[in-house]
Amino acid sequence: MPSTNKKNNILHAVNGYQDALDHQQELLKTGTDYNEQNGHVANTIASLHPKRIQLVVSEVIEDTASTKTLRFKAKGGFLPPFQAGQYINLFVNIDGTETARPYAISSAPQQRGFYDFTIKHVADGFVSHFLLNDVKVGDHFQSTGPMGTFYHNPLFHGDDLVFLAGGSGIAPARSMILNMIKKTSQKIHLIYASSYEADVIYINELKRLEQEHDFLTITWLISRPTENYAGRTGHVSAELLSELLGNDLETLQAKMFYICGPTSFHDFCAEQLKQLKVKARRVRIECNGPPKRPETLAGWPQNLIASDKVMVTIHKADGSQGQFEARVDEPLLNSMERNGYSAENACRSGECSLCRVKILKGSVFNPAEARLRSTDEAYGWCHSCVAFPTSDIDVLV
Amino acid sequence: MTDFDAIVIGAGNAGLTAATALQRGGARTLLLERHNIPGGCATSFIRGEFEFEVALHQLSGMGTEKNPFIMRKIFNDLGIMDQLTIVEERELYRVVMPSKVNKEHEIDIVLPASIKALKKTLSAHYPEESENIEAYLTLCEKLSLECFMMLPRAQKMADQTVLESTCPNYIQYGLTSSKDVLNQFFSNPDLKTVIAAYWCYIGLPPKDIPFCDLAMMIYAYAAFKPCHVQGGSQAISSALLESFLNAGGKVLFNTGAAKILTENEQVKAVQTEHGDIFSCQHIISNTSPQHTFNELLDIPTPTQVADDMKSRRLGTSAFVLYLGLDCTPEELGVTAASNFIIDDRDEEVAFTTMQGIVDPTHTMVTCYNYDDPSFAPQGKSTLSLLCLQYSQAWQDLPVEEYAQAKYDFAEKLINHAERVFPNIRKNIEEVEVATPLTMMRYLNTPGGAIYGFQQNTQDATMFRKRIDAISGLHMAGSWNGMGGFQPTYMIGESTARAVLKKIKKESEMKQQELTHA
Ligand SMILES: Cc1cc2nc3c(=O)[nH]c(=O)nc-3n(C[C@H](O)[C@H](O)[C@H](O)COP(=O)(O)OP(=O)(O)OC[C@H]3O[C@@H](n4cnc5c(N)ncnc54)[C@H](O)[C@@H]3O)c2cc1C
Ligand code: FES
Repeated sequence: MPSTNKKNNILHAVNGYQDALDHQQELLKTGTDYNEQNGHVANTIASLHPKRIQLVVSEVIEDTASTKTLRFKAKGGFLPPFQAGQYINLFVNIDGTETARPYAISSAPQQRGFYDFTIKHVADGFVSHFLLNDVKVGDHFQSTGPMGTFYHNPLFHGDDLVFLAGGSGIAPARSMILNMIKKTSQKIHLIYASSYEADVIYINELKRLEQEHDFLTITWLISRPTENYAGRTGHVSAELLSELLGNDLETLQAKMFYICGPTSFHDFCAEQLKQLKVKARRVRIECNGPPKRPETLAGWPQNLIASDKVMVTIHKADGSQGQFEARVDEPLLNSMERNGYSAENACRSGECSLCRVKILKGSVFNPAEARLRSTDEAYGWCHSCVAFPTSDIDVLV
Repeated sequence: MTDFDAIVIGAGNAGLTAATALQRGGARTLLLERHNIPGGCATSFIRGEFEFEVALHQLSGMGTEKNPFIMRKIFNDLGIMDQLTIVEERELYRVVMPSKVNKEHEIDIVLPASIKALKKTLSAHYPEESENIEAYLTLCEKLSLECFMMLPRAQKMADQTVLESTCPNYIQYGLTSSKDVLNQFFSNPDLKTVIAAYWCYIGLPPKDIPFCDLAMMIYAYAAFKPCHVQGGSQAISSALLESFLNAGGKVLFNTGAAKILTENEQVKAVQTEHGDIFSCQHIISNTSPQHTFNELLDIPTPTQVADDMKSRRLGTSAFVLYLGLDCTPEELGVTAASNFIIDDRDEEVAFTTMQGIVDPTHTMVTCYNYDDPSFAPQGKSTLSLLCLQYSQAWQDLPVEEYAQAKYDFAEKLINHAERVFPNIRKNIEEVEVATPLTMMRYLNTPGGAIYGFQQNTQDATMFRKRIDAISGLHMAGSWNGMGGFQPTYMIGESTARAVLKKIKKESEMKQQELTHA
């Protein structure tokens, strides 16, 4: 019986005290010790947002010379639902280095049997090389659950959508387009920029979809065409956007623009939309990894050159310490991983804050990608996936 | 020697406070948190240009610099007061009962945050009840003082005559149903709705709330001002963590406790989800007793604890829309930071709607940058729309219907709020939707509960024995006291004090053994 301390005997003088005690007895009789709910919270969370999914490669599909689609099934059979446009973070072990990269799911959300990831070759890429060259059917992987906020939000995105895709940025667009097939009210204009004609991913499938469905309009764009290419060439410029979408501000403002591609493509497209006076609230930009050349960004310390090296000292909670050297232009998380340390991570683009670590001594450069909370910097917390050490540092992991 | 004197499981308000007080009190403390940031409910997150406050609506117990109240002292003792920038709210809240037929709202009244002004405003709106208003608010004040000062003294002395002479109001009204007291004092149903609107925070209809709780709420907020903290409650959590670390504490994020290991019903160690085992003498659990005893503890739940849980009922969770708007509070028509939009004078109807996923009848709208512009980017607004909800209906949904259900309900909530603030939807720049299952994900609580168990009268501490079945295992959080910010900070602090005392005694006993040997 839960009931009360002796010192509370005097409380019988209080109106309602006895009633409450009676009520307690009644509840006790009809109540439960909650043991029947053991595991329920964990299972409910795992069915929507598992921390880890065990995956097996079920198919490797050649898309173009530089791109493959890896199809993954869940080891246990269950894949959590996701919203078209979301990504998972795929963990890999390459020659002893434990690391991970986020990939957008390119298959449709209705397709619950597998997830597709579209992997494009990245010049001097570490993980893309491995995924394109070394992975075969039957290989096992671990990933996070689906994450991210780059998806159609019906609360305010509206029905008139424009997707600006550059290269492998087509991956989330494909998922969104496949997801729209059953939805009658929405329409989407895909403006898809590729470097080379031979590099256009999902070209046949997209052409077929455009023919079959009224909701889809596609404009293809090649930036480095061959001599005989007859289609549109060039970049996603403000002129092109006005030509395709009209330049009536109200019409433009009613649209929702999604941008996904390489970082330079993001910056360029965002700038064009700004020129067209499209408000920030009508533009969604997918995150895209750490900045490639941090030393070129505003706020980078003067006199520090990209090839400079600093000493990183890692402090673990168990009291142990370790040290390694790192280049100032390499994200801290990457150099930590190469040296056998880790931090939880998912977006690797500064957004999700899972990779948060505390800088005890020294300084780091936090680029605009780092979505830090307002009190983080004062206490030395940074997002290690996009933090660059600019002096010798001590890190608490 | 054990690895640590104390291990705290969970870095919510109570966990952070307990860990900081323990470490500063000289106990070697390890703090384990399964999430990646400190705070539990008291956190923030970023979308676009906006930083959203997860849970704090109105911080109570701070008082002003001139007229400080208990929370300032606690934050001072924890070494963080000078890190915080406190923003006082000017108003308690605005209550609107939007009209269904015409533009004039049936009720629309803003209550100021000061006892004197509050009496004046209410009397101006309800002149025929001005004497009742005066009497009611005077009772709230007296009752609050009794609860805070005299009652604990009488309890300590276990003396009924002291109780009777010093706590007359408590004896008459303290444990009476709030609804009965309201009926006794007022006849105008609108006035009852307006003055009791804080029930929406507690999540039980006034008939089930002991009057002392409701009275203390309105009195404490009016007399000591509701507050915000720049940087949100995350600023408090981060400051507490910093103070803990500066004192030498150790913390592990992304590290849930997986097992509590015991020997002869005495705690011995904690095993983490990654398999590490840390030995300790004391464990302070900031997570639910269901999780602590039924899932983490390596032996069957002691009868004392099982019985304690049997008489408790799972409390409410919340559905929240975090909105970043591309317009100013003025453009939106905001005239108070905290707003209750109420459709039905009958709170029990509202309580029923909280059980399902149906049209909301009681929506709370908080505009964070109304009292301090630093809470939103320039020219924009940070808003949260909240209605308390129980989680069962959400848990019953098939996973593939979850996202759609979430958006459908969010639409209803926006529609409800737009009856008072019509320009919300067209100004949305960022939005995040949190359901009771989101709360479950981030807090790891059964039913996504945000205040622990239901806070009806018999749930209160005075009706409970201290849980001591497992020696060295202490509970601190919303589950073994009241939910909410102030109560959880306070229980964290008092638990740490009790544990420090025990540790001191234990080491004195060891010393004695040594000298005798
Ligand atoms: C949307 C919302 C609105 C609210 N509004 C208000 C309000 O206006 N006013 C008010 O006073 N209160 C409000 N609250 C309630 C208040 O925030 C909470 O009652 C209070 O913060 C609870 O604190 P707690 O110490 O019990 O811990 P919690 O915040 O519940 O934190 C517990 C921590 O323990 C961690 N944990 C759980 N299991 C484990 C494990 N096995 N190992 C390690 N860590 C673990 C969790 O991750 C979490 O961080 C609101 C809450 C929410 C969510
Ligand atoms: S991994 Fe997401 S912020 Fe670093």
